[in-house]
Amino acid sequence: MISNDSQFREILGELGLQEQRRVAALFVDNVLPLSDDQRLLQIVTSLKEGLPEEALSAPFKEAKATSLEAHTRCGTEGDWDEQAAYFVARATQASVEPQLRSGGKNPAWRAAMQSRMARTCLASESDEDSHNSETTAQYIILNNYLNR
Amino acid sequence: MSKPSIEKGVNFIKGQIDAPVASFFSSCIHCGLCAEACLFYTETGDPKQTPINKVEPMRRVWEQEFTVLGKLKSMVGLGKPVDEKVFSEWETLVYDGCSLCGRCSLVCPVGNDISGMIRKIREGFSAAGHAPEGLISATQRAVEIGSPMGVKLPAVKAQIRHLQADTGLSVPLDQQGAEYMVLLSSMEIMNFPEYLEAIARIMKQAGKSWTISSTAFEATNSGIQIGVSDLAKVIVERVVDAAEALGVKTVISPECGHAYTAIRWDGPNLIGRPYKFEVKHILEVLDELTVAGLIQTEGMETAKLTYHDPCQIARKGGIVEAPRRLLNQVASNFIEMSEPGVMNWCCSGGGGVSANERADEIKLTAFRRKKSQLDELKVETLVTACANCRLTLEEGLEANGMDIPVVGLTEMVAEHLVEDGTQKESAS
Amino acid sequence: MELNELLIWARGPAFNIALAIFVFGMLLRLFEILSLGRKEDLSAARGSGVAGGLRTILSRSLPRQTLFSREPLRIINGYLLHIGLFVVIFLYRPHIELFERLFGVSWMGLPTGVVDAVTAVTILSLFVALLIRIYNPVLRFISTPGDYLIWLVTLLPLVSGYMAYNHLLLGYTLMLTLHILSVELLLIVAPFTKLTHMFSFVLARWYQGYLAGRRGVES
Repeated sequence: MISNDSQFREILGELGLQEQRRVAALFVDNVLPLSDDQRLLQIVTSLKEGLPEEALSAPFKEAKATSLEAHTRCGTEGDWDEQAAYFVARATQASVEPQLRSGGKNPAWRAAMQSRMARTCLASESDEDSHNSETTAQYIILNNYLNR
Repeated sequence: MSKPSIEKGVNFIKGQIDAPVASFFSSCIHCGLCAEACLFYTETGDPKQTPINKVEPMRRVWEQEFTVLGKLKSMVGLGKPVDEKVFSEWETLVYDGCSLCGRCSLVCPVGNDISGMIRKIREGFSAAGHAPEGLISATQRAVEIGSPMGVKLPAVKAQIRHLQADTGLSVPLDQQGAEYMVLLSSMEIMNFPEYLEAIARIMKQAGKSWTISSTAFEATNSGIQIGVSDLAKVIVERVVDAAEALGVKTVISPECGHAYTAIRWDGPNLIGRPYKFEVKHILEVLDELTVAGLIQTEGMETAKLTYHDPCQIARKGGIVEAPRRLLNQVASNFIEMSEPGVMNWCCSGGGGVSANERADEIKLTAFRRKKSQLDELKVETLVTACANCRLTLEEGLEANGMDIPVVGLTEMVAEHLVEDGTQKESAS
Repeated sequence: MELNELLIWARGPAFNIALAIFVFGMLLRLFEILSLGRKEDLSAARGSGVAGGLRTILSRSLPRQTLFSREPLRIINGYLLHIGLFVVIFLYRPHIELFERLFGVSWMGLPTGVVDAVTAVTILSLFVALLIRIYNPVLRFISTPGDYLIWLVTLLPLVSGYMAYNHLLLGYTLMLTLHILSVELLLIVAPFTKLTHMFSFVLARWYQGYLAGRRGVES
């Protein structure tokens, strides 16, 4: 059972690229309710079923556009609940980013971090902080994936 | 901000006129070269966007109030008006069509600081109630809440907790006697929290004591952009009070361009006295730490990349070589844009333009200048050091169907940081 | 009045009056500027304001490479115009003799044939400047009647001087008289127009350069 980020990251690093993306999709899935953008749901769904590297450019473009639209414009009043959706979009973007563009970074690790950030947003104006429980949930997701 | 009025606006403009302004208006012989340096003119072809034209209302006030000839002209009814109509007509030129980038000031053959005058005239326009709504509310939020985007301490604390949990890095709050006090911009806190992690890593590695103030963590000063000095003053005072109470040696301004201008150059003039601490931009600090050997980097980005100079940092801030030294350390294929450094073109979103929805269209049009610089290069990555530039560039690229990732320099350095002991665990 | 009398008057009292108006007028304009003062900059200086100011007074005389590539004609024309004016006014022996009478100093001049050629070029550059002012959309938009006025009062002495020297059109004495009168017109008009830039540009460059020098930024 994974119990810390060192382990978590190591195991993720040992997965093949296609698997990393599948796991990334699972992480994003866990925070998807924080965004109501249907485009993200579609991307995550396709990714869970398995997307070949060649088919990534269109979903990546979508995810990037979604991300950009979801950010808080400079000088406007930020809404942290809405900002969570921005990080969900970034998590999605990370999971489908072509390797060449990301410089070989691990999509699952990045998606995991962005997903946690989405939870942090919710904690910004509330007394509850679900960031750590998200971390634990991610360990469980990975564990379950490995033991499927 | 007290009730606006045209009369107040004119008085404020009058109050901004000093010997330099008078020398500028006395010397301008309408050569039109300033327009050729202004991206809002070059990309729109609209002569009204000529920089010196943007301050025409101020010229009228100067002529009528401060020249014998002008006074005589007014007496016989030959003076040009500075009324509601003029304020309305010029509002979009003063705010939407100018990012305070400063290129015009550098090319004027007689030496006029036109961009400085546009900054001054904004004091009058906001006093007259003719400033963009978005900027007004951002500034009000900054004064009342402490952040133009409404970011409060609990949000920062949540991110600090997150950072601690994920990486083990600590972010000391309100540490008395720390060497550095770090400011963050709301844009970074909300959209690029990687910046905080990057700072934490770098400070830890360099072995420097640092802190964030719970009462003054915000760097952005939209009072400067809108042109309301008394509000800008309140925002700066918060930082000064905290820094001096904590007894820090240096306040670090984040990657936000205007935040640096506000705290480094405008601040002491707003509060009426010099600071008891130094102010440095994060790039200056990184450069110093690198040169001193306190931090080292390993590995190189191999992607073909270029650097966009944020106007407030390079042209107006004097920080031109430091980012290049840093970038050359972590990138093996760094090529310069045409007109790099001091004469680089603005991203099109500075000076309050990106916070002004009404300016969206002209901003995207002006962005074509940056686009043409990029088209020449065909790079794979664009590096910059300002959160606002970053998003403006991303939006501009997106609108033009260009897929070039935009990355922050501090983050990039942090990613290549040699860290003692355990394996590096970045959260990005 | 006889032509000779007019010439004597032009060279004498009229010139003194015109010069007095010029000097007094320019001093007034400079006073209007300087009396406004400037608040001290309290930010911590990174460099020297004085060095920046002095440097900018000189360096601004050269254009930025990037701007020059955009507008070579306008910029080159500006040089021709100003350098031409300088040569014609200050390096022409009869003018140098006038300065010697006025200020007691004298210096080397250029051969009059050279000055003559320079005058022709300068007149041409003025016309090019006029065309730019009329046809360039930016200049057309921002130009005021004052811009055209100073163009005219600068042109008249050049043309009349050229014609006098080359014995063109009207008789020499008349041409010379017209030349001197046109110079007097220029002197009288100058302080009340943007011709003040001939002195105020030093202040403008200084002020911007000073501030930039303090901040360690380029200007």
